[in-house]
Amino acid sequence: MKRFLVSALVIFAMLAVVTSGAFAQSKKTVTIWNYWETPKHQETLARVCKDFNSSQDKIEVVTKYIPFADFKKQLSIGAAASELPDIAIIDNPDHASYSAMGIFADITDKLASWPDLKQYFEGPLNSCKLNGRLHGIPFGSNCLSLYYNEDMLKAAGAKPPKTWDELKSVALKTTKGNVHGFGISSVQNEEGTFGFLCFLWGSGNTSFQIGNANGIRALSLVRDLVKSGAMPKEVINWTQGDVMNQFISGNLAMMVNGPWQVPTMRQQAPNLKWNVVLLPVGAIPASDLGGENFGVVKGDKVDEAIAFLKFVANPAEMKTYINDFGYIASRRDVAATQFTDDPIMKVFAAQMASAKPRGPHPRWPEISDALSLAMNEAITGVATPEAAAAKAQKTIDTIINTK
Amino acid sequence: MSLSRERATQKRLALPRIAGRDRAGTRMNRLRRYFRHGNIGYLFVLPAITYMVLLVGYPIVSNFILSIQDVTVTTLNALGKPLVGLRNYQTLLADGVLQRSIGNTFLFTVCCIVFQFAIGFALALLFNMGFPLAKPIRGLLMIPWMIPMTVTALMFKFMFSSNVGIINQFLQACGIIKSPVEWLLEPRSAMFSLIVANIWIGIPFNMILLSTGLTTIPNHVKEAAAMDGASKWQSFLFIIVPMLKPVIESVLILGFIYTFKVFDLVFVMTNGGPVNSTHLLSTYSYKLSFVLFKYSQGAATANILFLILLAVSIFYLKFIYDDRRAE
Repeated sequence: MKRFLVSALVIFAMLAVVTSGAFAQSKKTVTIWNYWETPKHQETLARVCKDFNSSQDKIEVVTKYIPFADFKKQLSIGAAASELPDIAIIDNPDHASYSAMGIFADITDKLASWPDLKQYFEGPLNSCKLNGRLHGIPFGSNCLSLYYNEDMLKAAGAKPPKTWDELKSVALKTTKGNVHGFGISSVQNEEGTFGFLCFLWGSGNTSFQIGNANGIRALSLVRDLVKSGAMPKEVINWTQGDVMNQFISGNLAMMVNGPWQVPTMRQQAPNLKWNVVLLPVGAIPASDLGGENFGVVKGDKVDEAIAFLKFVANPAEMKTYINDFGYIASRRDVAATQFTDDPIMKVFAAQMASAKPRGPHPRWPEISDALSLAMNEAITGVATPEAAAAKAQKTIDTIINTK
Repeated sequence: MSLSRERATQKRLALPRIAGRDRAGTRMNRLRRYFRHGNIGYLFVLPAITYMVLLVGYPIVSNFILSIQDVTVTTLNALGKPLVGLRNYQTLLADGVLQRSIGNTFLFTVCCIVFQFAIGFALALLFNMGFPLAKPIRGLLMIPWMIPMTVTALMFKFMFSSNVGIINQFLQACGIIKSPVEWLLEPRSAMFSLIVANIWIGIPFNMILLSTGLTTIPNHVKEAAAMDGASKWQSFLFIIVPMLKPVIESVLILGFIYTFKVFDLVFVMTNGGPVNSTHLLSTYSYKLSFVLFKYSQGAATANILFLILLAVSIFYLKFIYDDRRAE
């Protein structure tokens, strides 16, 4: 009897698989790659896809998670082996590189008559373009601001810094024992560049200038912070997540980080008293525009992919997920309705006014590598800010001057 | 090799018979004759050769072609990829990071091999003494070899951390150092930390192979030496080492190859940092290809690694061949 039951179950299961397969074939499947590692992000993305799948019966959207560290590799291998998703949710400075690789479709003409395009902020939308042609649309944006531990600053009798000089002195005042005054992720990759650019741009430079006095000033700032002991040298091995963990463990009095950490911090450290202010200003206010874009991959499912993008870009739908991501909407009409009762997120929204996109340049990864290398040389003391700046400028010049 | 000798004997035996049939001269006969001559061996190696050509030969050739082209983000999907000859190699050899990577790779390999081999040999001798629990303990010592490399690398990364790492805490508690050492934050000490981690991983491999080798040395040889008044040291130097020579050669050369192409340990522990000071050829090749999208330069770096290992392998094969001939 038992055996009969088992075989009946197996047959039933097989039938179920076969029939569901048959049903699935009548729909077109659109695969989305993403690298969001927090459960909250995955849940929300899955919910949005479910909304879309139940809203119509022609397209089935499925998501696939690929770790950030592997993402670029998988995409470029996929390009060589023609095994690509239909949509990739990618870091905005990489968009131009992948468009140049020929991975993404030019959707300028297909979206020409779409009225919503005008609602998008210019910075994020430009990061989707290569030579003026649109290869995707923005997902959502974020930027960096300064977090501080209220108790630690109060104990040191300090106020949140507004300028670079104040940053140095407050950081030094709050450094005591195991506590360091300031931390910013400075790993030698895109993550480190992301943070450092706030200083480089704050000095008045563009992404492609570092060899001048401004660039040296930005590098000297990080060097001085480490030299005085206010910033641990270990920041060169800390990701943004590591910096956040150090902050909520009470090892850092201030940190530079993004709004996507807010949900996690509220959950993991409910008793910690912290606040967020605009980044200290060097010469001009500056922050780094982060966030993701939807890249539409070339192939026979471009129209289906665009149908999905139009669905998630719909203001009504966007309002259901963008806050859960801790992102600021890339559309003006949605962004205006966000965070009206959240003072912390309001700071990030205000910081967006001074946030700039990185690059865009098809060889941005190489430029980024030169910048993060210079920053690491200054932090570790392997080279003086002057020497590091000169070397990085030489590398960048070779990249932007050769075609 | 013995195959040719065998063929020669077969030829001698088979010739008279075949000479008679040869006049019939059909194709079938010729085929049969061809295989009877011992050439059937080629048929047996055919699957292996096909496998090698497809899965080993093709990537090598394709990688070489990639390395003499100029393939970057902008040309990846273009139809005609520009050929640039050896320019990628020239650019790389003038590149400070590559020079440093080559130096690092050799330093890493030599240091690791020397210590892994010495410690592994000492442990093999120790466990060969056959004290109680020798076998289970030797089994336990295999653990470092079995743990996934990523796990080991993460563990050492934590242990070498300057603020919370156990190594600094231990050294401070013993009073050996006063302030924390920045193990992974200084170029030299970061390289040192990588070498220490890899030695730990490689000891079991050396130990188990040498230990197996030791069991093949008959006891009576050692006993005879002891009877003749050889000291422990003399019996080690003049009996054990010479009898283990084939094993020692294999261990050293395999160890060299394994260590030379280490990737995951460095990738996880330092990712070539701080300031590109701990890149090995393998990690630098990865960075060029998949971080900076300079595919051709990445391929060229991989080829440099390949050429060095090829030279070592030829050396190894020659060693084995000479040994066989000597026997």
